[in-house]
Amino acid sequence: MRFKFIAVVALALLAGCATPPPPEPGSAASKVVAMGKLKNIVVGAMRVARENGFMTVNAQMSNTSFNNKTFYYRFAWLGPEGFPVAEEETWKSQMMYGEQTSFIQAIAPTAKAVDFRLEIKTP
Amino acid sequence: MFARFSFIAVFALLASGCANTSPTLGSKSISYGDTKAVETVTNEFGSTDLQMIAESMTRSLAQSGIMQGRPVVQVYDVKNKTSEYIDTREITTSIKTQLMKTGVARFASDNNAMQSQVDQLKLQNQSGLYKKSTVAKTGNMIAAKYRIEGSISSIVKRSSDYKDVFYKFSLQLIDVESGLAEWMDEKEIRKTTER
Repeated sequence: MRFKFIAVVALALLAGCATPPPPEPGSAASKVVAMGKLKNIVVGAMRVARENGFMTVNAQMSNTSFNNKTFYYRFAWLGPEGFPVAEEETWKSQMMYGEQTSFIQAIAPTAKAVDFRLEIKTP
Repeated sequence: MFARFSFIAVFALLASGCANTSPTLGSKSISYGDTKAVETVTNEFGSTDLQMIAESMTRSLAQSGIMQGRPVVQVYDVKNKTSEYIDTREITTSIKTQLMKTGVARFASDNNAMQSQVDQLKLQNQSGLYKKSTVAKTGNMIAAKYRIEGSISSIVKRSSDYKDVFYKFSLQLIDVESGLAEWMDEKEIRKTTER
């Protein structure tokens, strides 16, 4: 009986430690690289378009807190092989009011970019 | 003999133990940082502002679709209308470099480089020092189709608790022949210090 109880507890603990499944390739979540846990900032839907040959990304951001929050972000632009096609962007600081939803927009620096990653960090 | 050998061995061991195995030299208080980091040391114009302006303007201009066929562009210095010293040539250099990397434009000698260009042409054509077949001919310089010019201005407000600086950077692309502004964009930056 005691052994069964220990086994159940161990299984529960193991299940708790299990890593969530990786995001599906091509999904919005697969494009986000969060540096640590994001505090009160949620990345929503992303729209990708190509204007005059340059990739444009529009990402919805939401502040789930009642207080104003700041986050840092930048985009990395990738070529068909998945390697960066431009030098690293500068980090940008974005302030969001309590419970605000807004968009961040970015344009690829070169027409060679076919994919991207959004690097994001909250202080 | 044994004692001497042992002494040398111990000394060698000690010396190798003290050797610096890290590829660094000097004080630990000095370090290299991330050149792309958000800089908030003071609220004066800084590296992040320069990088954000250049990045935003270049991409907006490249994506606008005006630069079809890689036109020749001449870049003029950005007018500094703020109360602080800003090396505006660095802004234009960054914009020029990024546009060049994008491959959407070619650049004619700007005002600062023109004198060097003329001097080199004169030297090649008038000094008689060079082999004729290698001399760059005069009258073949490519004139600019567009010129880029811009300005940066600021509004600074202070109270006992706050210092607020608002920067506005404007850039425009003007068709030299028609004088028409074909593209224009702005970048606004607000920096507030709470005391």
